[in-house]
Amino acid sequence: MAVHRGRGIAAIEYPTGMNQNGDPSQAWIKVKPDGRIDVFSGTADIGNGAKTIQSQIVADTIGVPYEWVTFDNSNTDSSPVCTGTFASRATFVAGKAVLKAAREVQRKLLDVAAQEMEISPEDLEIEDGRVSVKGLPDEGMDVGEVAGAAVYGHGILVTGTGAQLNPYAAFTDPGTGEVDSPPHAAISYAGCVAEVEVDDVTGEVRVTKLTQSYDVGRAINPSLVEGQIQGGAIMGLGLGVLETSYPYYPSVEHRGSGFGSYYAPSPLDMPDLETIIIENPSEDGPYGAKGIGEMANNSQPAAIATAVYDAIGVWITELPITPEAVLKALDKKAAGEDQPRRDGKMVIFDEDLSVNTVGAGLQWTA
Amino acid sequence: MRIEVNGAGHNVTSPPLASLLTVLREEMDVTSVKAGCESGGCGACTVLIDGQPRRSCLTPVVTAVGSEVTTVEGLGTPDSPSAIQQSFIHHYAMQCGFCTPGLVVAATAYVNGGGSDDLDSVAEAISGHVCRCTGYNKILEAVAAAVKSSEFDLSSTAVDKNTVVIKTGGAV
Ligand code: FES
Ligand code: FES
Repeated sequence: MAVHRGRGIAAIEYPTGMNQNGDPSQAWIKVKPDGRIDVFSGTADIGNGAKTIQSQIVADTIGVPYEWVTFDNSNTDSSPVCTGTFASRATFVAGKAVLKAAREVQRKLLDVAAQEMEISPEDLEIEDGRVSVKGLPDEGMDVGEVAGAAVYGHGILVTGTGAQLNPYAAFTDPGTGEVDSPPHAAISYAGCVAEVEVDDVTGEVRVTKLTQSYDVGRAINPSLVEGQIQGGAIMGLGLGVLETSYPYYPSVEHRGSGFGSYYAPSPLDMPDLETIIIENPSEDGPYGAKGIGEMANNSQPAAIATAVYDAIGVWITELPITPEAVLKALDKKAAGEDQPRRDGKMVIFDEDLSVNTVGAGLQWTA
Repeated sequence: MRIEVNGAGHNVTSPPLASLLTVLREEMDVTSVKAGCESGGCGACTVLIDGQPRRSCLTPVVTAVGSEVTTVEGLGTPDSPSAIQQSFIHHYAMQCGFCTPGLVVAATAYVNGGGSDDLDSVAEAISGHVCRCTGYNKILEAVAAAVKSSEFDLSSTAVDKNTVVIKTGGAV
């Protein structure tokens, strides 16, 4: 009768930049006469920070302060197409669209500045809102002056457009699901170590610490990346030990009938969190970024399950790992009913329930 | 029946047992107050009644007559946020923002009531609030920092947080 401690690990890889549906993201940018930048993008910001990150990308690519950028995603009439914020694509795909548009704007600003200064645009650079001659930082003019000259002197509107489309990956073999181009543009990797305390009287599993490392390509905004990782961690904890709509699925009995019977983690369920952000740049993402949205809540449940095994020597093979599941598994162990074995090996995940078995009868359709 | 919300009076047209939540949102357009579960379980509808955090979904509007009701609109404005609102911004303590107004008013009551900056006691104080996005850590940090506001340089915050210069270049 005691509290047992255990530690477990799980690792995942996660594909970002889905190519299989031909999902585009587009953006356009215009420069106001004072050099301030208006970005029009269809990317919805659902709290992931898409507006902030895309504004950062625009500001840094053009070479102006972040505060100069206004990001307008207010409606789908004035903004170009963005398929949406899902599949961890807002930074990876839509961020690439604004990056391309910003490059075009920078090129046009340099062209105007070059004419004003009677110099070749290749010899100019823009940094912190100022165009200057490379190597001669004092020789130059403010971006605001350049933008004013474009409007009132040259009679041009400085704009840029950008689009990112990973082409539709067509099936070459509907039987196997093989496609004619890489299904994903970047792979992220992550690992999670869970530490738990399991009470063998109450069956309660308490997650005490989650140590996680994520390869995000490039953390364009480390605070937002950290927010995604921490939020994902607690959601993963919920999936691991608390949350289920149908506790006896496929039976729908005892389904939660209200908010109070669905157990989402509360502030009191918080474990210690240790987060390691690894920057392993991708070739395709803006500034090497990869997606860090959906992958953030995948590894914790498996890590918790292995930690529970480490603590009390039983494998729980269904989520969430409720007190009831723990106590039943301990009873089985005490009764000498061993864990399922096949060919002398412990079977942790029953083949009959695996995706391959369940999906065997299905045909991929093009 | 007349209630005081953020310093202004309002003549209620709903019946006395209508929830304060409904009156605030439907009659008065105070939409910062969120209807989450409408059964007392999530904290999204929290308002201050005479400085105390209360669930407006469970509060019949008639019981608020004669009291001062405060929502986040009454704490600060976008141009001039309260110290706790600034602390939430500084610590990136919100993502979708649905839980945020309730948490900000609850944190205000906690800090004004002399709450400690110990993270466990902050967690206890806000334990009735559900947040699906942040994982709570940054919320706890924001509230603890607001408690220690003397050491917390609010002037350096928002800009610092939002202005990140991207270092371009190769592998890290
Ligand atoms: S809406 Fe009032 S507590 Fe959830
Ligand atoms: S920020 Fe989304 S629920 Fe808390």
